[in-house]
Amino acid sequence: MPTLKLKVNGRDYKVEAEPTATLLEVLRDKLLITGPKVGCNTGDCGACSVLLNGQLVKSCITNAFISDGCEVITVEGLAKPGELHPLQKAFYEYYGAQCGFCTPGMLIAAKALLDENPNPTREEIKEALSGNLCRCTGYVKIIEAIMAAARELRETGGVIAGKEVS
Amino acid sequence: MANTLFYRAADLKEACALMAQYERRARILAGGTDLMVAINRRLLLPEVLVYIGNCGLDYIRVEGKSLIIGAMTNHDSILRSALVKEKAPLLVEATRHIGSPSIRNMGTIGGNLVNASPAADAGTALLALGAKLNLVSVSGVRQVKVEEFFTGPGKTVLKPGEILQEVLIPPQNENSRWAWYKLGKRKSDICSVISVAISLEIEGNLCRYARIALGAVAPVPLLAKRAGSLLERQKIDKTLIAKAAKAASEETTPIDDVRATAWYRRKVSENLVKRLLSQILE
Repeated sequence: MPTLKLKVNGRDYKVEAEPTATLLEVLRDKLLITGPKVGCNTGDCGACSVLLNGQLVKSCITNAFISDGCEVITVEGLAKPGELHPLQKAFYEYYGAQCGFCTPGMLIAAKALLDENPNPTREEIKEALSGNLCRCTGYVKIIEAIMAAARELRETGGVIAGKEVS
Repeated sequence: MANTLFYRAADLKEACALMAQYERRARILAGGTDLMVAINRRLLLPEVLVYIGNCGLDYIRVEGKSLIIGAMTNHDSILRSALVKEKAPLLVEATRHIGSPSIRNMGTIGGNLVNASPAADAGTALLALGAKLNLVSVSGVRQVKVEEFFTGPGKTVLKPGEILQEVLIPPQNENSRWAWYKLGKRKSDICSVISVAISLEIEGNLCRYARIALGAVAPVPLLAKRAGSLLERQKIDKTLIAKAAKAASEETTPIDDVRATAWYRRKVSENLVKRLLSQILE
């Protein structure tokens, strides 16, 4: 089996995979990074969302070898162990999750948005989350959480783009 | 057990050589947003994957007067391009409704065309824009019109060993007018129930040319030639709009599927063409 190199959440990996494997399969089954979820496995639900070189992608339909040599951020990489990213804190405070299955993808999609646009409107948040489905709680609380996190990040000048997040 | 071979072609020449070697056994991998879905669903297991992300096919530029877009250009790049916005705003509008941000980051204009879905939004837009495609292989480059490219659902005129290299969009002038509408069951990540793209050139009060394209109403993205020709060299009024809309609807050959019935598609095709033409001429 061919091998590929990945940097996931700041750590380097070299891993063997089938040429038809998806990035999601490599993350979950080979590297045991299970934040990204297997939902639809057809690119519709967004539960598998990760950042690939800073770009939001659906890892379930990203061929693993396209990501060879790339940097991947999953929900595990948003904050240091034991700490919460402002987005995670806001999701908690605003009840932005119910069953939690869509949450890793929602958080990553939200991070992709705030990295580019620190002061999004409600409509811009809806557009940014348009590839992510939640089947429990609806989207209002998730949107409110993202607005709150954006506010906090602007006020504290928190660095959200880098790996170092306080 | 998969025994697929994976090649990351270093340039277009190597990609062509690989496609010549493996022909039908090989599939081009671009963004993967369609191909990987088919692989995940076990509908397809290619013997060979040729990844063309490193072949320098990601570009948007103007050559002569035409706008040229490389096949590996993703939808997000098209959406953000000032050049496409200036030269082919219709394509920007169509691209805005493809997938969702994460799909647009990966999916490419070339993949949207080669996948040859009857509902391909870029296909419908490019039909209205009168675009041409350069197809490349070890024997050289040949050019086809977009309306000659699609031959059926998932089928194109690409020969074994051929790769879609780039899209050429002819210049639009100051008399060009356009309109786009996508009807879907939701706003994002949705296959069109019907899409309509119209491009007209109006000089004085005469229509110089008209191209009316419809998606998801035929086995291929459809150029409604008869409807377009009804408008050409005519002064367009309400009666003519109604006639052209009816003609466009008669040119469709839709099917019943999970998204809509054939009856609905025919009916709404007529209404949408009427609406968009009226909008353009307001």
